[in-house]
Amino acid sequence: MKAGLFIATAVLYAVACILYLLLLIRGSDRARSVPGLVFVAALGAHLAFLLLEAPPPGEFPLADISQILSLSSFGIGIAFLMASYRFDVTVLGAFITPLSLMLFLASGLGSSYAPVSPNVQSAILSLHIGANVVGLVAFALAFVAGFAYVLQEHLLRRRQLSGVFQRLPSLDVLDTIGLRAVLAGFPLLTFGMITGTFWLLRSKGSELYVSQALGLVAWAIFAGVIVLRVAAGWQGRKAAIGTMLGFVLTLLVLAGYALRAAAGGSP
Amino acid sequence: MTRDFVVVGLSHRTAPVEVRERLAVAPDRLEEELRSLAAHGRFDEALLISTCNRVELYATSTNPIEAAQSAREALATRLADGAADQVLYQERGIDVVRHVFRVASSLDSLVVGEPQILGQVKEAFDAAKGAGMMGTLLGRCFTQAFAAAKRVRSETGIAEGTVSVSSIACELARKIFGNLEGRRTLLLGAGEMGESAARSLRQTGAQLHVINRSDERAHVLAEACGGQPVPFERLSVELADADVVIASTASPKFILTPELMKGVVRSRRHRPLFIIDIAVPRDVDPRVGNMDNVFVYDVDDLQQVAEENLAVRAREAAQAERIIEEEVESFLRWRRSLELAPTIVALRKRFGQIADEELQRALSRLEAVTPSDRVVLEAMGRSMVNKLLHQPMTQLKAGAGEPDGALLIDAVRRLFAIPEESSASEEPSEETSDEKRVRPLTAAATPSTGEPK
Repeated sequence: MKAGLFIATAVLYAVACILYLLLLIRGSDRARSVPGLVFVAALGAHLAFLLLEAPPPGEFPLADISQILSLSSFGIGIAFLMASYRFDVTVLGAFITPLSLMLFLASGLGSSYAPVSPNVQSAILSLHIGANVVGLVAFALAFVAGFAYVLQEHLLRRRQLSGVFQRLPSLDVLDTIGLRAVLAGFPLLTFGMITGTFWLLRSKGSELYVSQALGLVAWAIFAGVIVLRVAAGWQGRKAAIGTMLGFVLTLLVLAGYALRAAAGGSP
Repeated sequence: MTRDFVVVGLSHRTAPVEVRERLAVAPDRLEEELRSLAAHGRFDEALLISTCNRVELYATSTNPIEAAQSAREALATRLADGAADQVLYQERGIDVVRHVFRVASSLDSLVVGEPQILGQVKEAFDAAKGAGMMGTLLGRCFTQAFAAAKRVRSETGIAEGTVSVSSIACELARKIFGNLEGRRTLLLGAGEMGESAARSLRQTGAQLHVINRSDERAHVLAEACGGQPVPFERLSVELADADVVIASTASPKFILTPELMKGVVRSRRHRPLFIIDIAVPRDVDPRVGNMDNVFVYDVDDLQQVAEENLAVRAREAAQAERIIEEEVESFLRWRRSLELAPTIVALRKRFGQIADEELQRALSRLEAVTPSDRVVLEAMGRSMVNKLLHQPMTQLKAGAGEPDGALLIDAVRRLFAIPEESSASEEPSEETSDEKRVRPLTAAATPSTGEPK
């Protein structure tokens, strides 16, 4: 049952991904809503899968990396639906869906991940992970908006004004989504950093120097992007590239945890 | 010898903006420029069109080959060595007429169907008149071109839709800024196309500031487009505040230089700036386009978008081409009708017919007319026709060689109601065979201006 649902969800994500890419590259006014419908179906299947996977009462949620990846994937989809409701950016699904699919597939390798040992589980850990997951979702959206911005700007400068350029949203909309998403994600990331440090100190510190250092660098990059955007009025390509870099580092942190977990460590 | 048309020039089809701007002439200098060009060439009539997308010298001459050669030399002196062969095209004969009709109807425009070209051709027409270089042949050709353009506009959908340099500019601005409501547009200079682009942006809800070296001109323009005039000294401040800049001045040098823009970009604090450089010669140094968050588009860049829209307009354009061919045919009929010999033949025939008819009528009323009486009466009829026609014929033959000879022939044909078709169908005129001899001298880098004859 679980395996079947997993495969169905993955297939739906993949189909939605192909349809969104076709919409971006070839465009079609008639079939505009089809990729969205498939994507919503994928999210429905994913939700069912999450409910099946939910930990029994009494256990701390989000305690294993597989759940974290799966929930991040789901959250990115929901955040994208909200953004496209607000901004008419349906076509960004072409960049969101590969991300969702990738995280979901990564979560499927979860059988090899060691769950967090019960003695390090605590409310603080759940808060830490929860804040980071929502932060990650916001940054994923910022990443996709930034990626689309860089692509759109490249097309504008290269004077390739037909096709993809026509279907991508305006630079202003992409920049706005990028800014808002980073502004929403940053406090969560900060909160995640603080709670994470607390938990680490309390649990007398597993040695996670690399992941912590990467996390700190990602945090510093996002902080820099926000300061430059808000204080110095930064806009456009540089802000987009900064945001993308921050997100990639955040993903690396997550990958670091996943690899450690796979190797039998704890997060 | 029959006069014939020639055109030599370059356009967006054959030359990039860097080359076109070397030949471009500001509208207020057209007349003077035409005079100086005409002084060197052997033209009976001449007209110079200069827009951002084309510079063309039209002329008529009794020696079209020589005229084409001198027109070509006159334009080539302003181009870099060796460039002339690549970018200049030339046509002679009826192909010139077809080309004028297509240009005026905006079929040869960068953005097919854009309305500015007709006004620009009319300006060129007025300048040629002002320079005293407009005669019957070129005059008729261009007035008919205006009529053809009007027909194309009203009978086809070529001018419908959102395809124009202005709307392409608006569309691009939307792709950068999203909603244009409340955005600041700065119109720099007073070019017609710039004005039109500014108007379109104004209609989308953008604020419009108009800046010009002449305050008076800025006021007039601002009033016409619903904008606000700004003194030229405030240029850098306005650039710092603007979102979209439309540069459309007649300045021969770059106005927006990297030095100026460096300061502007700094004070803009990274806000994107979209500059549309419609001016030829260009107003914006190309290096400005490499600056962060500054997007510069010149007329050539807009061509690309225009080409995509061409496909959509292909069907309408095909219909327009048919109208052009009809108009060309009608022009040819008019020209044939202007031939002197067929006019004289037709005039004699008409008078002879009347004399014959009246003679027959008189004879039927008379009784006992002897054959010798009849001979006398017939001779009298002929003699009256000859004497009545003698003076007009002499004048006509003398006047036909004058620059406005065609007008004289036209007047005679109208006075005596000689139909255009009569001479054309009855007597193959020299014109027809002449037209057949005419071929473009160069295969040129340009596609044919129309259907093969």
